Amino acid sequence: MIDYLWLKAAHVAAVLIFIGGLFAQAIGVAAGARGGTETVSLVSRWDERVTLPAMLAVWLTGAFVAATGAWFPSHWLWAKLFFVVALSGIHGVQAGRLRRLRRSDEVKPSAFPFAVLVAIAASVAAIALLAVAKPF
Amino acid sequence: MAMSIAENEELALIRKLRVASFVEASTLLILLMIAVPLKHALGYAGATRIMGPVHGAAFIAYAWCVIVAVSGGGDWSRRELTRLILAAFIPFGGFANAGLLRRKEAAAQAGQQ
Repeated sequence: MIDYLWLKAAHVAAVLIFIGGLFAQAIGVAAGARGGTETVSLVSRWDERVTLPAMLAVWLTGAFVAATGAWFPSHWLWAKLFFVVALSGIHGVQAGRLRRLRRSDEVKPSAFPFAVLVAIAASVAAIALLAVAKPF
Repeated sequence: MAMSIAENEELALIRKLRVASFVEASTLLILLMIAVPLKHALGYAGATRIMGPVHGAAFIAYAWCVIVAVSGGGDWSRRELTRLILAAFIPFGGFANAGLLRRKEAAAQAGQQ
């Protein structure tokens, strides 16, 4: 039981760091596409050293928590996984856009920079509701 | 000779892909050839409980690298990217990537000299 709680605590810590990094990354990409080269450099460094390892830790600890708690047959977990996959995908796409900005490739600024932030916030809210309330 | 940022970035991504691809395929091999037989033949489920999550995380790491290669530009043809994407969904596809990624790394290194 203690192992399970420690795993869960590590998972929640990794999730919090990953989500914070994801918001910073989205703002860094938006700023970089409008010429903010110093922001791109700072966000890229944080992304590679902190956010990416946190994302991998989220998946590793999350899979151990699900296996230890025998949660895999639960429907809420699969609904939650949909949003986690989406957030990981957004992170990969934004990491690619940061890479283009570092190479000084032209990256077209998004017409709706707010939409990415709203999508991340909505996914995080859905994940929290599913993981805590376990509605189905 | 000093490498440009773009060359450095390209080489770093190819190396990440090589490692992620190898680890993804290797963990699947261990899962299927060692952990699953241990569970079904000897009733030892601990191996699958460990290797399942490890392979899951390795798969995500590989898929993440492929997404970065697709969205990040660089010296990748459409055919090479398609091959990397398909390899994610074919068992042991990571081993099939070894030759392509080795050639890409050699070409990226040669381009720097």
